[in-house]
Amino acid sequence: MCKRSGEALFAPVSFTVKGGELVVIAGPNGAGKTTLLETLAGLRPLSSGNLSFEANKNWNDWLENSHYLGHKLGNKGILSCLENLKFVLEIYGHRYNRSEGKMALEQVGLNGYEYQLASELSAGQKKRLALSRLLLLKHSYWLLDEPFVNLDQMGCEWLYQLIKKHINQGGSVILTAHDQQKIHQMASQHIILEQP
Amino acid sequence: MIRYWAICQRDLLATWRKKSGIYQPLVFQLLIVTLFPLGLGAGAQTLAKISPAVVWILALLGTLITLEHIFKDDFEDGSLALYVRAGLSLPMAIISKALAHWITTGLPTVLFAPIIGILLHLPETAYGVLMLSLLLATPIFSLLGAVGSALTINLRSGALLLSVLVMPLLAPVLIFGAGAVLETALGNSAKGHLLLLSGALILTITLAPFAAAAAIKVNME
Repeated sequence: MCKRSGEALFAPVSFTVKGGELVVIAGPNGAGKTTLLETLAGLRPLSSGNLSFEANKNWNDWLENSHYLGHKLGNKGILSCLENLKFVLEIYGHRYNRSEGKMALEQVGLNGYEYQLASELSAGQKKRLALSRLLLLKHSYWLLDEPFVNLDQMGCEWLYQLIKKHINQGGSVILTAHDQQKIHQMASQHIILEQP
Repeated sequence: MIRYWAICQRDLLATWRKKSGIYQPLVFQLLIVTLFPLGLGAGAQTLAKISPAVVWILALLGTLITLEHIFKDDFEDGSLALYVRAGLSLPMAIISKALAHWITTGLPTVLFAPIIGILLHLPETAYGVLMLSLLLATPIFSLLGAVGSALTINLRSGALLLSVLVMPLLAPVLIFGAGAVLETALGNSAKGHLLLLSGALILTITLAPFAAAAAIKVNME
């Protein structure tokens, strides 16, 4: 159960996510979708209940194996696209390789923007820059909060395919989405948040 | 360690690109110090008498105007969440950010202090102790400022509240720092004052990162 300002946001939920599954969290605005996702990401404490991650694995294993992308994208406006990727890889303890970074940017459609400051990108391009981290960090579990927001039709299609590929490779995705018919059809589970 | 150095390096690069982060406190100090002879008269003796306190107060105020953004930008653009998600220790990340803040604000203040001292006719014998006392105290400004900044990341304009929160904590540092310079200018030993500043620095390095981490966690929830 999750609380905001001391009040329960939604009726208790319980679910299990297996490898190769897409889980969509749905509900009206203010239902607590972001709060639930932030709780799963370890950014908020759980009000009651528990979260467990595979047998014999602890919280650090969960952090190491999952990637969270929220409304705040984590891009630094004063740094270029490549510098942003380098920084993220470094704080995750990965080795930075410029050609891999360029390749990731090319895949998300930011070819030619490698040395452009993140603050000079459009909202959709900033989202693409943040999504490129998924390609480089190669985590098994993705927690995506409204990942389709600000993306154009081509960007949405690219993301559908990326999620599909990730699931087919045995990865799991938990995301929040509103009017994305295609993603709802693709989902193996829907978590509908209701009033407590 | 490399992971934490990356945070410091990134902050240094960001401040270097913005430029204003470095020269803003120095220009602020220089502007105010030029007003003192105008207000008090240019008498060297009068200026020399007040110079230890003025240099120190300027160093303190120059740092205060830069504190708000230690964590605010990281909170607003989602970088703080990235640190948590990357499994970084928050107190260590805070030390990295405070180090970057000190290199861009505290260190220039220490190096700039003799110029302020000359403008205020600070006795020649006191320059060494002035720089040493600031060298010990400016990291305290950055670390305690980090606590204040962490407490106010959620506020739209938290600069005033931050100053009110941090000022009482910095007052003892000001008293002993300015006291050390004054004692030296009067020909006395400043050893006691400097030892107290050293103790305060050790205490701050030990406790402030944990206090700031707790404040960040509360504000992120």
